[in-house]
Amino acid sequence: MKRLPHRSVVVVGAGVAGGLISRQLALRHIDTVVLERGGDHQGGAEGRLPTQRDELRWDIRTGLMQDAAKETYTFRRTPSEAARPMRRLTAFLPGTGVGGAGSHWNGQVWRWADYNMALRTRFEQRYGSGAIPADMPLQDWGVSYAELEPYHDLFEKLFGISGRAGNLRGVIQPGGNPFEAPRQNPYPQAPLESTEAGLIFQDTVVREFGYRPYPSPAANSSGVYVNPDGMRLGACQYCGHCDRFVCEANAKGTPDLLLFPWLARQPRFELRKHCQVLAVDYDPAAGRARGVRYLDVTTGEEYFQSADAVVLAAFTMSNTRLLLAGGIGRAYDPATVTGVVGRNFCFQANSGIAVFMPGRWINPFLSAGATGTIIDEFNDDNFDHTGLGFLGGGYIGVNVGSGRPINTRRLPPGTPRWGSAWKRANADWYLHTFAVGVQGSCYPHRENYLDLDPDYTDAFGQPLLRMNFDWRENEQKLSAYCTTQAERIARAMGATLVGPAAPRSAPFDVRTYQGSHITGGTPMGADPATSVVSPRLQHWDAENLFVVGASVFAHNSGQSPTGLLAALALRLGDDLVRYLAKPGRLS
Amino acid sequence: MSPSSNPDRPARSGRREFLRAATALTGLAVLPGSVCATERNAAAPVTEPAEDPPLIYLALDPDEAGFVEHLVEVMCPADELTPGGVECGLAIFIDRQLTGAFGRGERLYLQGPWRPSRPEDGYQLPMTPVQYFKLGLAAADRACAQIYGRNFAALDMTEADLFLQAVAVGKVTSGEVQLDIWFNETVYPLFTQACFSDPVYGGNRGKVFWKMIGYPGLPAVNGLNMTKYRGKPFPGAAAPLSMEDFS
Repeated sequence: MKRLPHRSVVVVGAGVAGGLISRQLALRHIDTVVLERGGDHQGGAEGRLPTQRDELRWDIRTGLMQDAAKETYTFRRTPSEAARPMRRLTAFLPGTGVGGAGSHWNGQVWRWADYNMALRTRFEQRYGSGAIPADMPLQDWGVSYAELEPYHDLFEKLFGISGRAGNLRGVIQPGGNPFEAPRQNPYPQAPLESTEAGLIFQDTVVREFGYRPYPSPAANSSGVYVNPDGMRLGACQYCGHCDRFVCEANAKGTPDLLLFPWLARQPRFELRKHCQVLAVDYDPAAGRARGVRYLDVTTGEEYFQSADAVVLAAFTMSNTRLLLAGGIGRAYDPATVTGVVGRNFCFQANSGIAVFMPGRWINPFLSAGATGTIIDEFNDDNFDHTGLGFLGGGYIGVNVGSGRPINTRRLPPGTPRWGSAWKRANADWYLHTFAVGVQGSCYPHRENYLDLDPDYTDAFGQPLLRMNFDWRENEQKLSAYCTTQAERIARAMGATLVGPAAPRSAPFDVRTYQGSHITGGTPMGADPATSVVSPRLQHWDAENLFVVGASVFAHNSGQSPTGLLAALALRLGDDLVRYLAKPGRLS
Repeated sequence: MSPSSNPDRPARSGRREFLRAATALTGLAVLPGSVCATERNAAAPVTEPAEDPPLIYLALDPDEAGFVEHLVEVMCPADELTPGGVECGLAIFIDRQLTGAFGRGERLYLQGPWRPSRPEDGYQLPMTPVQYFKLGLAAADRACAQIYGRNFAALDMTEADLFLQAVAVGKVTSGEVQLDIWFNETVYPLFTQACFSDPVYGGNRGKVFWKMIGYPGLPAVNGLNMTKYRGKPFPGAAAPLSMEDFS
C-alpha cells in the first residue's frame, strides 16, 4: 500500500455534500482531496442527444446507477429472518460517479418546516409526553433552522433554484407555501411552468377545499442563470428525462455541472476519480481518524491518504457502512437499544392514486423533474394529530415529471394486461392520466436500522450493509390517512375514473421503487448515547472525523432531503475551516 | 449528429458482419424473411445496400423462438392499432435482451448464499436471466402440453390467451419453476419494454406503439412547447422520432 503525502482534508464522495464542503474549503484555500469511486458523466452517451433520451438504458436498466453486481444491500424485515440481497437496484437508486445521486436526481429542493429540527420537543409539547410511542426513537437534532437558514439561502443561489417564496421574513406570500420556514430571500429564479395536471390540481384544491398550493421548488432551471461562482445553467427544456438521467441541456443543478468544474480551477483542490474507499483508519486510543485506505480501480493499487480531517460525504448507506466496517463508534443493537451506528434508519412512505380525465390533454412528456404542484396542509405536523393514532404526514401533489412510455403509462382498473383491449386502453389513456401523489414522512423505529451483513460481500470483499426495515404501524397509518386525502382531492377534480388508492403497507416490497430518499444510520444529536455525530457533525469518538449527508438525519420528513443535507454540508464546510484553525471539539 | 461522431451506435455494416459471423458459428436457424426484415429508415444514407439480411435469433433456439413468437402474437394481436407482435419486433427485442447484457446478468448481484424467497424479495435465483427465461419457458411448455396435449406454439389464439392468463394468476404449476413469478416478473416486463422502448433495440418497429399512444419521442426540446401545447393536442405525437432519426 502506497502512502500519499499528507493533506488537510480528505472527503469521501463527490456528490452534493462533498462538492459543497469542498467549495467552502476552497474559498479559504484549504488543500482538499475528494475521492470518488466512479468517473464522469458529462460528455458521455448519457449526456448527449440522442442517446440521453433512452428510457431502457438509463432508467429501466439503471445504466447510471451503482452496479448492484459489485455492491448492493441486503434486507430483512424482522431480526429473526435471514437477509436476502437486493439483487437488482430496485427499491432505491444510489448513483455513482462525479455528482453522485445529485447527478441523476429529479431536483426537488425543500427547506423542511422549522420544527423538524426539534421534533421530539414539538410533539411532547403539543400532544403530551406520552404521545411518542416507546418504539419510535424520535430525537431533537441539536441544530436549529435559524442556524441553517443562511446555508439554505446559499445553496439555493449556488444551484439556481426555481420556486416561489411562501414565507419571506415571516410574511406569508401569495402563491407560495404558507408552511414554509421563514426565508430571508426569495428563490433566485422564478418557478417552473406548471403542467396541465398541476393546473387541474391547483384549481381543485383552491376551489373545493381552500388549500394553498404552490409550485415545487426545483433545481431544474426555469431560465438561464449564473450562480455566485460564475457557473452557468441553461434553461430547462421540459424534456421529461431528468430523474435517472444526466441533463444534456445543462439545465439541472448538479455537483458535476456547478461545483466540480469550479473546484477544478482552485489551486489547492484535487478530485481523484475511480477511487473506491475501503476503510477509514481509526485510532481508538487517540480518538482520531488517521486517514482513509482506498483502491485505485484503474490500477488495482491500494493507497493510504492521511489527513488532518476526514469527511464522510458518501451516500447515506456508504457513510454508515464505513463506520460499521471500521469499528468507529458502537454499533446499534435493537435488542438492548444501545449503541448508535446504524440507528434511526428511515425511508419515505410514498403513495399515489391515478386520475383519468378523457377531456384533458395532460401530455405527460411536457414536464421536468420537479414540475410539481404541491400542498403542505397534511405534511409533517402541519395539522392536528390529536386522536389520529399516528404522527407525521406528507405532501400531497401532482408531480408530472416524465411521459417516458415504458414506465409512465396508467391504465384504468380492470384493464386486461395484454391483447387488443390493453392496447386500446393505452391508446385511450396515455395522454389523459396522471397521479396525485403523497411523499410521506418516515419516523425512526427501534427495529429499523442498518448493520453489516454476516454472509454477503461486495466485489471488494467487504461485508454488504444490511437493511433491517419494514413499514411499521405509524407509517402505514399515516400513509392510509394521507392517501385518503389525496383520493378526496382526486375525486373532486371531475375525473371520469379514479384509480384505487394505494397507501404504503407492509411487507416492504423490494421490487418497487419507493424513492431514493433514505436517511439515517449516523444520526446527529446533542446526546452521544443516541447520536453518532454531534450537532456540528463531528464524530463523538473521533474528533477529526466528520459525517454529512442524509445519513445524519434523525428522522425523515414528508419533504425531499437534498435541500437540508446541502445546508448541513455548507455549514460543515465553514466548521471545518474553524476546526483546522483550532482543532478540538466544535461547539 | 453525424453517424461518425456517435460511438454508441455501430454502423449498420458492422452489425451485419456480426450477424453473419454469429450465423456461421452457431448454425442458428434463419427465420422467415417476413418476420425479420428490418424496417428501412427514410433518412438512411443512400449508400446503404438495398436490403438487410434476415435477422436471426441469438438467444432462443427454434423451439423457444416458436414459443416466444406465439406469445407476442397473442399478447399483441394484429388489429387496427398495431401489426402482430412478431412484425412489431417484440420477439427479436426479447431475444436481443436475453442474449445481451441484461440476459447475461449485468448489474445483477449473483453471489450466494441462496435462500428460498417470497415474491416481494425480488429475484433470488442463482441463474442469469437468460437461463431463467429458458427454464421457465420449457416448464411452461411442458405444463401446456399436459393440459392441452400440444405445445404452446400449437395452441390457437384463444387457447393461448387463456393459458397465459392462467399462468399469470398462478393457476398453472410446474415442479421446477414458479410460473406466475416467472411470467409476471421476467416475461411481462420484457413484453412491455419491447413495445415501448426506442426501436433501436428491435421492438416497437416503426415506432408503432409510440404512435398508438401519442408519445412524440425525441428530441423533446419543449421549452416553448411547454406552454404552447399545455392542455392541447401535441402535434409531434402523430409522427414520433426515435434515436435513429437523429443518427
